[in-house]
Amino acid sequence: MLDMALPLIMDALANAALIFFVAVGLTLVFSVQRILNVAHGSFYSIGAYIAASMGLWLISAGLNPWLSFPALLLSAALVAMVLGPLVERTLIRWTYGRHEAIQILVTFGLFLILEDLQRLVFGVRSIYQDTPMALLGVSEIGGIFYLNYQLLLIVLALAVLFGMRFLIKHTRLGRLLVAVVADREVSLAMGINTDRAFVLAFTLGVFLAALGGALATPTTGVAPGLGAETMVLAFAVAAIGGLGQIEGAAVASIIVAGAKVLAVYYAPAFDTVAPFLVMLAVLLVRPNGLFGTATTRKI
Amino acid sequence: MMLKVDNLEVEIEGVQVLRGISFTLESGKTTVLIGRNGAGKTTTLRAIMGLLPVVSGTVSLAGDALLDKPAFARAPLGIGYAPEDRRLIAEFSVRENILLPALALNMAPAERKRRLDETYALIPQLETLDARPGGSVSGGQGKMVALGRALMVADRVLLLDEPFQGLAPALALDYARALKRLKAEKRDIAYMITESSPDLLSSVADETLTIERGMVSGGTVEAI
Ligand SMILES: Nc1ncnc2c1ncn2[C@@H]1O[C@H](COP(=O)(O)OP(=O)(O)O)[C@@H](O)[C@H]1O
Ligand SMILES: [Mg+2]
Repeated sequence: MLDMALPLIMDALANAALIFFVAVGLTLVFSVQRILNVAHGSFYSIGAYIAASMGLWLISAGLNPWLSFPALLLSAALVAMVLGPLVERTLIRWTYGRHEAIQILVTFGLFLILEDLQRLVFGVRSIYQDTPMALLGVSEIGGIFYLNYQLLLIVLALAVLFGMRFLIKHTRLGRLLVAVVADREVSLAMGINTDRAFVLAFTLGVFLAALGGALATPTTGVAPGLGAETMVLAFAVAAIGGLGQIEGAAVASIIVAGAKVLAVYYAPAFDTVAPFLVMLAVLLVRPNGLFGTATTRKI
Repeated sequence: MMLKVDNLEVEIEGVQVLRGISFTLESGKTTVLIGRNGAGKTTTLRAIMGLLPVVSGTVSLAGDALLDKPAFARAPLGIGYAPEDRRLIAEFSVRENILLPALALNMAPAERKRRLDETYALIPQLETLDARPGGSVSGGQGKMVALGRALMVADRVLLLDEPFQGLAPALALDYARALKRLKAEKRDIAYMITESSPDLLSSVADETLTIERGMVSGGTVEAI
């Protein structure tokens, strides 16, 4: 029984880690900018494409394969630094304070543009590049084998969770963001450059999503449709955890990934709908999510 | 001459709220702006702070045009503002609320401490509230905190929007005393205080202006 359950738990937690990277960025941007970015999942798939391409290039250039680890981080940073400010300044900024329907239409348009761009640049094939996972290998505890890379994903997700808490509670940027979330007008009057706060928060959100995508390539590869698939999972997490709740996103990521992995193990036909069945069940009982209330908007 | 408002017109949702108002705030002087509810006092202060779009007119600080600058550029120029509805950050402690402008402007720690000590000396009630969450203080205490927060940057101009509105008598007395100390100690600041009734501020006013349906009249004390 245990030797069956442990791999399942590891799979679920590793999947949860990847979803968490996307969901936490979605929730951050929702808290600070008050917009629900439908295109957020595209940053995940773009991060994945860039990381996979960079990994393939590293190998073909005959460089040290361990460089593929910093390459994962570098890919995410690149995507964030280029797309974060660009997208926020041109499109997203224009939607602040507008009706939700407009925000969804604009960000959905952005999603379509980014999807087409990915097809144009990376083609329609799937790319596999699992050097980092192969390098880390497996370890055996009590007769059960684990992928060390999965452990790394879980550790990194925990680092992001605690890093975000630290950012919000103890750094200047974090405190300024809390003030902007609470009261934009007073923040301006007290001297906070809220535009800059918006760019930084958005770019951080893009970075986290792209990092999730980059880290996912060694385990799942990249193929067209990854962005959309990730986006709906991140939305399920946001709905279950309550939008704007970082700890909520962590717990909800585990629930969503758990449902998915359980289905993969025991009822493969349901693996895509399982997370949403759980989401519906949660929303029937708590319409604002497990940790959300109708009025809270926190980060 | 410090802050000059010239022919300011503001529309909110297509309705003209300020109809070409002009006045000057002098350093060391307290200008009281009196007007009924809905007369345009809050709109005047928010327009000076750059918090709403202006149709026409100018606002300048020592000759420097303010309306071309983004709203967040007011605090670094030494303009402090206490909104009528206090607007404290509920998640912050009282001290953190007071220090928010210092954090926004990235003041050096020594400077931050000097200003905080100075603020606590002027408004001793704040020191006892210090660690309380911003969301837990009473409305009247909140007005004191908002005053302290504005003082962190108000080297040149201090704008107080209806500070006495809704204040219990004891707190109103405390607030008035704090204002007197402030005026005595900080003689370079140009003060503007709005109020709906003239009685409360007659003792601190150097100049009294009246605003009615978006138009300012008066200019001298006997206006009302
Ligand atoms: N956000 C708003 N939307 C619509 N009308 C507003 C808004 N804010 C102010 N007004 C109108 O502008 C006028 C002036 O308001 P305000 O400046 O708040 O007056 P005061 O501060 O003197 O009570 C009022 O007639 C008010 O109805
Ligand atoms: Mg008012």
